[in-house]
Amino acid sequence: MLELKHDLRLAKTRDEKARMNFVSGLRAHVLNDLASGMRSVYDAKVEPQFRREQKRVPKDGPEVHKAIKGNDYFKFYSTLRVTAQDMVWQSVIPPLERNRPELKQKAAKLAGKSKARGTLRLQPNFEVPRYVSAIDVHLMAGNYDGEYEKDDLAAGSLYDNGLAVFSFGLMGQNLDDIGQSIAGFIRLKYPNLQPKKILDLGCTIGHNTGSWKDHFPEAEVHGIDVAAPCLRYAHARAEAQDRTVHFHQMNAEKLDFPDASFDVVFSSMFLHEVPKKSIAKIMNEAYRVLKPGGLMLHMELPPNSQLSAYDAFYLDWDSAYNNEPFYKPFRDLRPEDLCQKAGFDPKKYVQFVIPSVGWYGEKVWREAATRPPEVDSDKTGRLTDGILWYCFGAWK
Amino acid sequence: MSRQPMRRTIRGGRPYFFDDPAIDKVLNMVVVLASEVWTLRERLMAMEAIQVTRGGLKAGEIDRFEFKPEDEANLSAQRKEYIDSLFRVLAEQVDEARRSKPAPSAAPAKAQRSKALKSKANKATARKKK
Ligand SMILES: C[S@@+](CC[C@H](N)C(=O)[O-])C[C@H]1O[C@@H](n2cnc3c(N)ncnc32)[C@H](O)[C@@H]1O
Repeated sequence: MLELKHDLRLAKTRDEKARMNFVSGLRAHVLNDLASGMRSVYDAKVEPQFRREQKRVPKDGPEVHKAIKGNDYFKFYSTLRVTAQDMVWQSVIPPLERNRPELKQKAAKLAGKSKARGTLRLQPNFEVPRYVSAIDVHLMAGNYDGEYEKDDLAAGSLYDNGLAVFSFGLMGQNLDDIGQSIAGFIRLKYPNLQPKKILDLGCTIGHNTGSWKDHFPEAEVHGIDVAAPCLRYAHARAEAQDRTVHFHQMNAEKLDFPDASFDVVFSSMFLHEVPKKSIAKIMNEAYRVLKPGGLMLHMELPPNSQLSAYDAFYLDWDSAYNNEPFYKPFRDLRPEDLCQKAGFDPKKYVQFVIPSVGWYGEKVWREAATRPPEVDSDKTGRLTDGILWYCFGAWK
Repeated sequence: MSRQPMRRTIRGGRPYFFDDPAIDKVLNMVVVLASEVWTLRERLMAMEAIQVTRGGLKAGEIDRFEFKPEDEANLSAQRKEYIDSLFRVLAEQVDEARRSKPAPSAAPAKAQRSKALKSKANKATARKKK
């Protein structure tokens, strides 16, 4: 089991650790072994039958989904994936519940420590959008914003510890492989980009926000989110790791920052959790707060337009079955259109596929900064062995 | 806000894949069970490793062992927690049902329950009589 590397880690019993180990192992089995098994079943049985009946191959994800839905292997894969997902959170809640008072004390101490350099700004009567407050995204009971007491940060801890179990090592020892791989890649690739201010949208517990501070120590780094308990936790977590980051409770659809105030506007795994209408507003806001010459960059799941029918189906699974209602609609959009509609020049559109620095090691990752690999639909954006991170964006 | 326990059930419901959702639910229980079996094995392995370093156990010692009453009580509390977690998947339906209907006040609920029990009992006797 991956142990969190900071002072907010929960004290766990031997049995609780063993349960987490089991769930991580189960997830790895489902996402590597069963997933590749399902691909084989599809190639051997489902697709040939479709071809016999329709005299053609399935044209997109929904057609593959329809064809495979009745297959027993798909059913076992799916129900086990749901079970594993559910068990991720259930493996964390009991030790978290026990540790809540202590966690709160620790966090208060960290946030109040004399050498605290980062800041936290919450808004007393903040309105959390319905698409966050009304559902439990990826089956996480209580979602990002659920609060169970005054000044609560349990949801942040649930996410941090849950992610450690969920990612079975693929998101790095500090759960920041995305941030480390991408921030570092940008620094290598654009040595002339010397950002003074960097913004991370939908930062949750700031696990990937801090990487920007690591790679651009001169820059002022800000993270915003709508979920107060996650932001409280993010602040304490950043202080525990001696990173200076400024967290704000803000809606990315309506940022409280002046025009042209940031050199980099970043997000990771954020847009796919937001409805289409809001995505458009968020892109407009990113454009507005960006300085001319600045870079907007979103790390995301690869769009359906760049994937085969089977791979589109594979990634869309979450949308249908993991309480991710906005995931497929987002992936059906073309990222280049999103940027253009927000005012970016189509000639200044960029897109990268960045090797995970944790999985591939420094050497391959450094080489990629000179010539990034293409979308590889077997690995891009998938939590599987050999993972690659997809991002898109534009220069202003 | 006073301190409340964290919620453990999922809003928005869970998907089912088999024609009979009971299969999905049973499978969930089986996997939770498997997880507990694994947990025990890890614990036993830890114990064995400790014993090996300390030169602890004698042969047959575990089979002859009896728990003290206070340990027995502790074990029974843990067993209850274990069983609750095993069947947590069913608690979701109950949560859902409770959310959709305002909870009746305590006294009539009790009355209703005992009425329901009685009518069940009556039916059972009726069936027996037949
Ligand atoms: C999947 S998490 C992002 C995780 C994180 N950025 C990472 O790199 O793993 C999505 C986050 O977006 C936040 N969020 C959703 N809608 C938002 C909005 N309109 N403005 C700001 N944050 C929002 C949620 O509260 C949640 O913390």
